[in-house]
Amino acid sequence: MSDVVLKNIGKTYLNGFCAIPSMDLTIEEGEFIVLVGPSGCGKSTLLRMVAGLESITQGDLLIKGNKVNEKEPADRDIAMVFQNYALYPHMSVYGNMSYGLKNRGTSKAVIAEKVNAVATMLGLEELLERKPRELSGGQRQRVAMGRAMVRDPKVFLFDEPLSNLDAKLRVQMRMEIRQLQRKLGTTTLYVTHDQVEAMTLADRLVVLNKGVAEQIGTPMDLYNKPATPFVAAFIGSPSMNLFDANLTEKGVSLSESLYLPLPHAHRGSIVWGIRPEHLAIVDEQDADFALEILAVESLGAETLVHGVLKDGSVQGKAMVVRLAGPHNPELNSLLWLSAPATHWHIFDAITQQRL
Amino acid sequence: MIENRPWLTFISHATLMLGIALVALPVWMALVASTHPASAFGVGHIPLWFGSAGMETWQTVLFEQAGNGIDTPVWVMMLNSLVMALGITFGKIAISLLSAYAIVFFRFPFRNLCFWIIFMTLMLPVEVRIVPTYQVVANLDLLNSYTGLTLPLIASATATFLFRQCFLSIPGELVEAARIDGAGPWRFFFDILLPMSRTNIAALFVILFIYGWNQYLWPLLITTDDAYYTLVMSIKRMLSVNDGDIAWNQIMATTLLAMLPPVAVVIGMQKLFVKGLVDAEK
Amino acid sequence: MTVTFPQKGLPWLLLLPQLLVTAIFFLWPAEQALEQAFYQEDAFGLSREFVGLENFVYLFTDPLYYQSMLTTLVFSFSVAIMGMSVALFLAVMADRVIRGKLTYQTLLIWPYAVAPALAGVLWWILFDPSMGPIALWLGSAGVDWNHYLDGNQAMILVVIASTWKQISYNFLFFLAGLQAVPRSLIEAASIDGASPVKRFWTIVFPLLSPTTFFLLVVNLVYAFFETFGVIDATTKGGPGQSTNTLVYKVFEDGFIGLDLGGSAAQSVVLMAIVGVLTVIQFRFIERKVQYS
Repeated sequence: MSDVVLKNIGKTYLNGFCAIPSMDLTIEEGEFIVLVGPSGCGKSTLLRMVAGLESITQGDLLIKGNKVNEKEPADRDIAMVFQNYALYPHMSVYGNMSYGLKNRGTSKAVIAEKVNAVATMLGLEELLERKPRELSGGQRQRVAMGRAMVRDPKVFLFDEPLSNLDAKLRVQMRMEIRQLQRKLGTTTLYVTHDQVEAMTLADRLVVLNKGVAEQIGTPMDLYNKPATPFVAAFIGSPSMNLFDANLTEKGVSLSESLYLPLPHAHRGSIVWGIRPEHLAIVDEQDADFALEILAVESLGAETLVHGVLKDGSVQGKAMVVRLAGPHNPELNSLLWLSAPATHWHIFDAITQQRL
Repeated sequence: MIENRPWLTFISHATLMLGIALVALPVWMALVASTHPASAFGVGHIPLWFGSAGMETWQTVLFEQAGNGIDTPVWVMMLNSLVMALGITFGKIAISLLSAYAIVFFRFPFRNLCFWIIFMTLMLPVEVRIVPTYQVVANLDLLNSYTGLTLPLIASATATFLFRQCFLSIPGELVEAARIDGAGPWRFFFDILLPMSRTNIAALFVILFIYGWNQYLWPLLITTDDAYYTLVMSIKRMLSVNDGDIAWNQIMATTLLAMLPPVAVVIGMQKLFVKGLVDAEK
Repeated sequence: MTVTFPQKGLPWLLLLPQLLVTAIFFLWPAEQALEQAFYQEDAFGLSREFVGLENFVYLFTDPLYYQSMLTTLVFSFSVAIMGMSVALFLAVMADRVIRGKLTYQTLLIWPYAVAPALAGVLWWILFDPSMGPIALWLGSAGVDWNHYLDGNQAMILVVIASTWKQISYNFLFFLAGLQAVPRSLIEAASIDGASPVKRFWTIVFPLLSPTTFFLLVVNLVYAFFETFGVIDATTKGGPGQSTNTLVYKVFEDGFIGLDLGGSAAQSVVLMAIVGVLTVIQFRFIERKVQYS
């Protein structure tokens, strides 16, 4: 049974600004959904609409089959982890975790039992008497999650919960969140602007751009078959090489002189793309094009080569190549590359849809 | 908003408006009262709506005489109040700027002692030590003078403390840079410190102006000559005539005129005023 | 701050005006008060006699002084609590509204600028037994209002006038305090199932406690020392002793009663009280610094 259903959900502010025109999404029970997009894309607004912190101005929001548009946040049976954790500074860890249960009139014995169980699960037993300001960033993060878990809600909502942690801790907490969610099996809606976080956590991803879902799908769907140039550029790092091009009878024309052969019925302006990791170094005679090397970033396990296409036109087009292992090509020299057609991504330039 | 509870928002607005009305009530009554002839007050109650004698009363108190035993018109007392308020304000700011500058940017023996001596003045409002202060001013022959009105009130720990905080927040590199650029202490003071403290000075100005204008007990004690009466204290003199003879319309008009300048300053310079209040209590 | 100018004489020159004014108008009078507190002076100031601690002994055996202390406490706490409650209530309402916040603020803060004596006069005429609209209205409601005769009513009048002036100040600080409470805490609490009222008492109010404590001290200091004008313009400490606060008594005994020794002894006691209050205020400032 589907757990959370967004039907034609929209949000228009009183001043007329439309943050979310219309959104449809069906979340299955136990699913981990990540809302991802650049800042200002409406992902947090959408999450807060589900939480009941922002009003819904259009459409229906169903949780377990019940329409909850007009319900108070407290009555939606959701729990939320905030970006700054929003721990009550004047309450102990125990006080923070038990507050929601206390407000719902749960008996003291039951509260103690539940809080202790969750604290054990998160390794917070020793910290229950501490105040939030006496905790490290990672511990605060855990308390915030504990506070959400104690109530055993139908839906977890996460609003960029890892953005205040340092890089190392972020990776660790990311794994913990994923494991906990699997163990608890609670339906989860998670907002982030970090595509790595999104890819590693999600069962399914929703890529948002200007309030519109560009694509909804599994991480591999999005990586392999991005529906729009926006998704293509957003998912994957370094991001996909995208070029404005034309599709003619001779194939894809990247410039006046550079054609890539492709039999395709479509004609006209397109966006052509290939991921940096799908370009391969080949001999000159097998190459599709040459790259004039402008910069080399050696990361050890891989090497990123930045350059411009060498095709005779005055303004070369910038391209990134990702090579496994260490390489040390000379600056300003030419790198002969092949772009296998199986890895091409072609989008209609007008509709921005995948062809 | 967390809740869609329009009635809560409505109640908030309604409460605020009620609060505003209650706060404004006495001023409204004063305004109404000042528009009725003095005789209207004898009949048992203050009229609740405007009368027709307003212009006359206001003109009389403002330009001819304040009434109730005071022959001086309000505008003269206003001028006195202005002299006192500005004297206190500029005096406080000037001597506090200088002493804060000395305390923060120089090292000399007894520096801390000086700070504490100045600081002690913060502890004692003039009301507490009123009798001996009066005697001192009387001994110095400063009764009935502008100097007597302002000078004793311009020692200010608050302002010194505030400027000290402000100066301490100026990075040391700036002093070093100024010295490398060949600026001596005075150049540094006028070219760098003063411009950097501009908003603090302005904010403090608003607060101190109100403080100076509203002085009551001090001018009441040391002025016995009408020519030096300030507006706020004159009310007290006006109220000391016989109960039956009080011309309430004139008292109300004078009261409103006495409130007007500081209230106008608060409303007109609300941002600076709020900053001044917050700064002063840090 | 380690960077300073090397001049040695200049700082003294800079400090001179402040030190002179402080010495002449503060240290000298304070010293005189201290001295006078140990002397008995005749009403014409012609002769005086060293009496040791007699002025203090007299003061602390005088039931009127204790009565004045009690009056001061009742008055100060009434002003502080009333002013803070009303201001907090209004600030909570103002924090809720989205539109017109600044307008409401403007229309609520101006009484700060009204001199205490004028505030007293304004409320006096509203409550004047023979012509004040509120007094007359109270009369028709069965309350016989006459603050010239009834000490409690006189106290209520000066409390109202003093509170009215102080609401603006409390309002500004409470509003700033409320706006500093992170929005996400309120949201977290609402998800945790707390009603608006419960949210206020369990989350917002505890988080405001530094502001509340600070305002309590400031309000007490205000009621102690800055309400002289209100009392002098309305009740003059009467009827009887019912509104004769400690600060008013210093003035009354010194200037009207001409008991200079007694008045000076009271000044000394008040200085001590102010000293204690200042220490408390400082402790608080230190704590606040640590907190942030």
